[in-house]
Amino acid sequence: MRLTPVGKRDRRLLLELTPMVDIVFLLIIFFMVTSEFARDARADVELPRLAGEQLEQSEEAGLFINIDEAGNIVLSTSEDPISMDELAKRVRLHVAGEETPRVTVRADRQGPMKVFNEVIRVLDEAGVSSARIATEVPR
Amino acid sequence: MNMTSLIDVTFLLLVYFMVSMVISRPEDRLNPTIRTQDESVSGDAADFQPQVVEVMLVNNVPTYRLGQHDMVSPEQLEEKLANLPTDLGVFIRGSSGISVGFAMAAIQAARDAGFEEVTYVPME
Repeated sequence: MRLTPVGKRDRRLLLELTPMVDIVFLLIIFFMVTSEFARDARADVELPRLAGEQLEQSEEAGLFINIDEAGNIVLSTSEDPISMDELAKRVRLHVAGEETPRVTVRADRQGPMKVFNEVIRVLDEAGVSSARIATEVPR
Repeated sequence: MNMTSLIDVTFLLLVYFMVSMVISRPEDRLNPTIRTQDESVSGDAADFQPQVVEVMLVNNVPTYRLGQHDMVSPEQLEEKLANLPTDLGVFIRGSSGISVGFAMAAIQAARDAGFEEVTYVPME
């Protein structure tokens, strides 16, 4: 028996979920990929436990130079440690053409000052006038 | 269409990102000017020298030296620096024998004492 009057359209709302599912998965993939990239440049080092400058505005970090406890210099977790000469080349490449080159040094708090000082000399020779030194904000 | 599995996966991913954000330690930065020793101030400018803090080993003890004063903690250094004029800035000179954390604490102490211009100079 037909209960709907003849000529009247079915007004039940059909929710189309496919585009929403597509967008949700695209967003998930986007965040997973970007978080991997961000993690790649930050080696696992114990940063000095200091409050830092506590500036409100965030700035582009630029090139990351990680110095671990043993004094190894690592630019990316997917790469092997590099020598001071190789670092000088990479810094020069990064600095070339940049008006205000940005470099962040992530040095282990127990790391050797000798290597840190050499890295600072390399930066100075390449024309970097100000280095960002990463700290871990105490909770 | 059965949505249960999709919602399960989405919530698991959401929980994963929330937990990983909490676990990752918050970072900040210190932003000193850098100079090497060959660029030391000369001529007339030498009449207006900034404060110089040397971070070095004294009798095998990591020490902050400011003029005639030796200090072993960043708090003591900050207290001394807070009594000095801040307009000429401060130079932090780090020697090779100490740890990075101890030297960076001197930069933090200078900032906390009100110095806008903090310059880091590596020592030989």
